[in-house]
Amino acid sequence: MSFEIQKEKIKQICRELLEKGEVDVIIGYTAGEIEGTRIPYIFSKPEEADKLEWDERCTPNLCTYLHGRKDKVGIVAKPCDVRGIVNYLVESQLKKDKVYIIGVDCAGMKDDQGNPSPGCGECSVKQPPLYDMRVENPDVTNEKGAPPEAADPADLMEKLERFQNELQKCILCYSCRQACYGCYCQVCFMDRGVPNWQPATPDLGAKMVYHLGRAMHLSGRCVECGACERTCASGVNIRYLIKEISDFIEKTYGYKTGLDAEDQPVMTTYAFDDKEIGFLGGDADA
Amino acid sequence: MRNQIITKEFLSAMLKSLTKDYRVVAPVRNGKVLEFMGISGDTEIVMNDEIPYKSAKDCFFPQVEKLLTFKDGEVAANINAEKTIIFGMKPCDAEALRVLREVFLAGQYQDPFFQSHFENTLIIAVGCVREKPGCFCAERGIDKSFTDFCDILLNDEGGEEYTVVYLSEKGMDLLGRFEETKHILPPPERKAAETAPEVKKVELNQELDETAYFDIIDWGKATEICQGCGICTFICPTCHCFDLKDVSMQGATDRFRCWDSCMYPKFTLHASGHNPRASTKERYRQRVLHKYLYVPQNFGCTACTGCGRCIRSCPAGMSIRKVVEEVMEVQP
Ligand code: SF4
Ligand code: SF4
Ligand code: SF4
Ligand code: SF4
Repeated sequence: MSFEIQKEKIKQICRELLEKGEVDVIIGYTAGEIEGTRIPYIFSKPEEADKLEWDERCTPNLCTYLHGRKDKVGIVAKPCDVRGIVNYLVESQLKKDKVYIIGVDCAGMKDDQGNPSPGCGECSVKQPPLYDMRVENPDVTNEKGAPPEAADPADLMEKLERFQNELQKCILCYSCRQACYGCYCQVCFMDRGVPNWQPATPDLGAKMVYHLGRAMHLSGRCVECGACERTCASGVNIRYLIKEISDFIEKTYGYKTGLDAEDQPVMTTYAFDDKEIGFLGGDADA
Repeated sequence: MRNQIITKEFLSAMLKSLTKDYRVVAPVRNGKVLEFMGISGDTEIVMNDEIPYKSAKDCFFPQVEKLLTFKDGEVAANINAEKTIIFGMKPCDAEALRVLREVFLAGQYQDPFFQSHFENTLIIAVGCVREKPGCFCAERGIDKSFTDFCDILLNDEGGEEYTVVYLSEKGMDLLGRFEETKHILPPPERKAAETAPEVKKVELNQELDETAYFDIIDWGKATEICQGCGICTFICPTCHCFDLKDVSMQGATDRFRCWDSCMYPKFTLHASGHNPRASTKERYRQRVLHKYLYVPQNFGCTACTGCGRCIRSCPAGMSIRKVVEEVMEVQP
């Protein structure tokens, strides 16, 4: 089943939801000004559903637009968007009765060159883990893709070098934070005056503070949507760092973010049989 | 025009030889992006029709610049711009620099730091062959293949060659230093029609007061998808808002000027905690009105040259052009 068939189904579902008054607005995708791009589309009239798009360029994570909304929202959600929604539920950022999830099976998104969009190559959740209505694609399975890139080197100095090489491109604009569904703090630690985490100059140190801080704050919360990497106009990829933390959490606690709305946030719960390695200086085997 | 030609190979060698006496800045591949960067003898300079994702404004108005040092009751100003040559600014970039010059040098206050960079920089602009997705320079009254706000202007002839003209004494002197370019001439006189193609301009009515625009469209709806990330302002060639930061260390205090952005929540946050621009709607409206109304009213030029960078890089697909056009439809 192609994107085209899914698109018609999405349009029909959205139109009906608005006609029946089941939701106040719909968040989906429409065509952007630049040829081929798909951008977020928020609308409230049934006939506006005609402008909805669904194809392999629907990259933005729409989940971020749910945060703080008061109305009842219908959302066209890829599995990674759904994982964001699930984690909002887990973190009490959203009430389930305020959102109607149109979960769409996702065959993977592409960038403007036809390459897999950041996060999509290695994605293993291609069917929505939670939905009110599912738009299926029988060709899509939850099979894990190939690992996207060279594994992080084991040597500490090489690790540092890779990290700093990426940071050399960063201009500290914080767009990656703004694009991330999980970065919803009212005042980001980087914007705080007391204590002031940000030195006057956006030098390497400031960039390291920011990116390490953000990575830690996303421990067990990243849904691998790739928005941070895709958004970065400067071509910085720090997502591998966050991915490594996610892999660690999956290995250590058997927890994958955004799959089960009944979960407790992994970093705020404690069990007596938690492995010691989760603590600073802990022993891997203990 | 017969002899007004140099090869890209020669130009590349020429720029590299100039690194002995100047900081030379040119489009260079940096990972996935094309960026204006300082070059050295072995840098590969990109000479195609692409436009660097970020403008070259930081050569004149660096992202962070140490302005003053306070020590033992003395204040020292740090005005010592390096001699710089920038290759590869597009006509929209050069015209944007004209806007910055108006803002920093022509008004009530003159900025000595900007002035020092400006006077020590020589610009080799390159005309565009094609408009890139998102570009709207024509609608902003700019000719994609010509600007006189540069010292030397090149145009790609579609192969391995550029046509060359100079537009200032500085440009003439530089070309005069090389056997291969000392015969180059200024451009023939251009007729007005040549420089101003017939398109509907994207602009606001500068006769109106700002209050007329505050509720002219539903700004909330128009900016609903904006994520407030501010990348549009960092990469824009005309955005010029800044913050001052003092850093004290070992008995001395340095005062830095750092880029700021009207799209950031802290930009207008008062000490009291009150924020007059409380949400994205007010911030984005400010961005549009600053560019299309306040700068025109104060300095006589619009602070948007249609380079399209903000449209290409916006993670949400916002388009300043579309928003201004929406306002134009209803403005008196
Ligand atoms: S990584 Fe990219 S998006 Fe994030 S702050 Fe740095 S330049 Fe901005
Ligand atoms: S850190 Fe990046 S990949 Fe992870 S949820 Fe945030 S934007 Fe998506
Ligand atoms: S318009 Fe786009 S680039 Fe600018 S702040 Fe909003 S989301 Fe970011
Ligand atoms: S507002 Fe956008 S199009 Fe206009 S000059 Fe700035 S980056 Fe270019």
